[in-house]
Amino acid sequence: MNVYLLQLVNGVGLGMLYFVLAVGLSIIFGLLRFVNFSHGAFFLLGAYGCYHLVQMGMDFWLTLFFGPLIIGAFAWLVETFVFRKAYHLPHEMHILITVGLALVLQEAVIMYWGPLGHNVAPPDLLQGVVIWGDFIYPKYRLFVIGVGVALAVVLGAILEGTRLGAIVRAGSESTEMVSLLGLNIKRIFAMVFALGAATAALAGVLAAPIRGVDPFMGVEALGIAFVAVVVGGMGSFAGALAGGLLVGIVQSMMSTIWPPGANLMIYVAMALVLLLRPNGLLGRA
Amino acid sequence: MTNRRDFLKMSAVAGLAAHPLFSIAQSNDLVLACPTAMSGTFSAIGKYSDMGMRLAVEQQGTVLGKKLAYRMIDTEAKPATAVRRVQEAMQQHNIRFFTGALLSAESLAMSKEIHRAGGILLTNGGADELTGTECNRSTFRWALPTYSIIQGSARPLAELMPKAKRWYTITPQYVFGEDLLKNAKALFKEKGIEHVGNSYHSLTEREFSGHLTNAIASKADVLFLLNYGAQASDALRQAVSFGLKQRMTIIVAAASGLEQFEGLGADICDGVYFGAVYWHTIDTAFNKKFVSDVREKFKISPNYSLAAPYINTKMLIDAFNKAKSTDPKAVIEALEGMKFESLTGTEEIRKEDHQVLRDFYLIKGKAKAQMRDKDDYADIVDSSRFFLSPEAAGCKMA
Repeated sequence: MNVYLLQLVNGVGLGMLYFVLAVGLSIIFGLLRFVNFSHGAFFLLGAYGCYHLVQMGMDFWLTLFFGPLIIGAFAWLVETFVFRKAYHLPHEMHILITVGLALVLQEAVIMYWGPLGHNVAPPDLLQGVVIWGDFIYPKYRLFVIGVGVALAVVLGAILEGTRLGAIVRAGSESTEMVSLLGLNIKRIFAMVFALGAATAALAGVLAAPIRGVDPFMGVEALGIAFVAVVVGGMGSFAGALAGGLLVGIVQSMMSTIWPPGANLMIYVAMALVLLLRPNGLLGRA
Repeated sequence: MTNRRDFLKMSAVAGLAAHPLFSIAQSNDLVLACPTAMSGTFSAIGKYSDMGMRLAVEQQGTVLGKKLAYRMIDTEAKPATAVRRVQEAMQQHNIRFFTGALLSAESLAMSKEIHRAGGILLTNGGADELTGTECNRSTFRWALPTYSIIQGSARPLAELMPKAKRWYTITPQYVFGEDLLKNAKALFKEKGIEHVGNSYHSLTEREFSGHLTNAIASKADVLFLLNYGAQASDALRQAVSFGLKQRMTIIVAAASGLEQFEGLGADICDGVYFGAVYWHTIDTAFNKKFVSDVREKFKISPNYSLAAPYINTKMLIDAFNKAKSTDPKAVIEALEGMKFESLTGTEEIRKEDHQVLRDFYLIKGKAKAQMRDKDDYADIVDSSRFFLSPEAAGCKMA
């Protein structure tokens, strides 16, 4: 099989992981207009949560549920007791507070689990590769694509087809109007923030068997998430999907075309998109 | 509760204690410093370096009638910070002897500064320039140049598997990686090996699936990973997940140490070859004693980050005793050409470029079921000693 076709498939796999990572950041910004620089830290906690639970003897499959659930609950508390008090402040303060939280969480991870990385094995069912002619791909990465697709469908259905989704979309247009309709906007904010953090944690759990866990993985993930969200359009659910896929495909294809620039070209692609569409591929003005 | 009178008494005592007149005992100490990364991504290096220094200093106790002490210096893995902190140590604390620096860029920066100020640096940086084109009389190195690493890892593997003629490399695009690649290409040419492809990657790369897809498409017999530390671990982990262990032999040019195996786990390392500057099962009397001491004191097996500062400190102590002086010039003369029993056997500091001549190891990861203890991740397959001549390395000692 042509190496570029292999890279395209690999890029889709990477892109779906980036989508899972970025979608929460996009939803949070869409509703709360809150730039969450601690998003990478929730990814980090998800990955370490998975590692810790597996070390304790929990089945990897269960960590896919309990990891995001625990981190989502933690994020709910953080939103309620910390971030909620900062929404009315300028964006600079949002950056200061969220970066501060990210650093605290990163150092907490180092204090508890140490500075060295650890491995998380994929579940037995997903060990090995799928071989189809020249096409070789890890079963686990195919599973990640499946999870990404499933998450896109479920989140799309919730946001587009349920009352909660309608409230979230309305809230992203005008939080004041939603409040005037008698809805508890604070609780909706907390719920959406927890959902966003839980998806970051899910991405962390999914990433753990691919790249292991280390205390600095959150910083790297945050960069990728921001690129995906900015490329797709801040606050756009579909944009996060498009952005994640574009970033993954560019990174993978460039590994063959110009390997040293594989990472650099992600940011070049972002700059090009912003030049042509300042609000991102699917963002609104 | 402390009242005003107690507070004044304590302040007076503290003030007197800090006065130079009352610090004579401290000034009689011979203080060594270990500038290394103690925070950030490479903080684990600092943790183990501290253990290595502590063990060597505590074992020795005193030298030439002076109490031996050491100070850890956090370089934050930044060359500029490293230089500033070394300057502070020299100017404010009159420290002249530095050991243990592990990262190439900061080692190079500190080497120049310490040479300028008349100190001594025993470094473990990997950059060839340290004992090559930028060698100087103040800098000595126990770590190995890239030529030795490639010769000690790829040559024995090529000889073990003469039919494996197609090699693919993955290389980090910075000085250390480029030097490894240059030496690997020279060896491929000598051995009639076809270099079927190379993927360069940046220093921030953590996702190697694209590069591994290239390696698969090349139908190579051997995947040769020239990256180091966390990047080598990520590349190897992902290579194994892509089933490459079943399709080709994998070799990592330079393992960062035992902690890398702990992070990866036995299942990933099983059957993979690694070049190793140090491995705790080296069969020498000196190493056996060292491993035993480390296990007794720290309850762990030593890794490279712990062993390197330990042996650097021992080299310095030997040189103090040989020179019967702590004057840096006399100590440099004592170090030059010094032969000593060490972790890898009898080692020698080459006078012409200050490179320590010693063995490098090729080790092979083993299955979990075959491990004799929790640290027995690999067997030593080969040990060898390859060095360029000082002239070929480019060293012109001033």
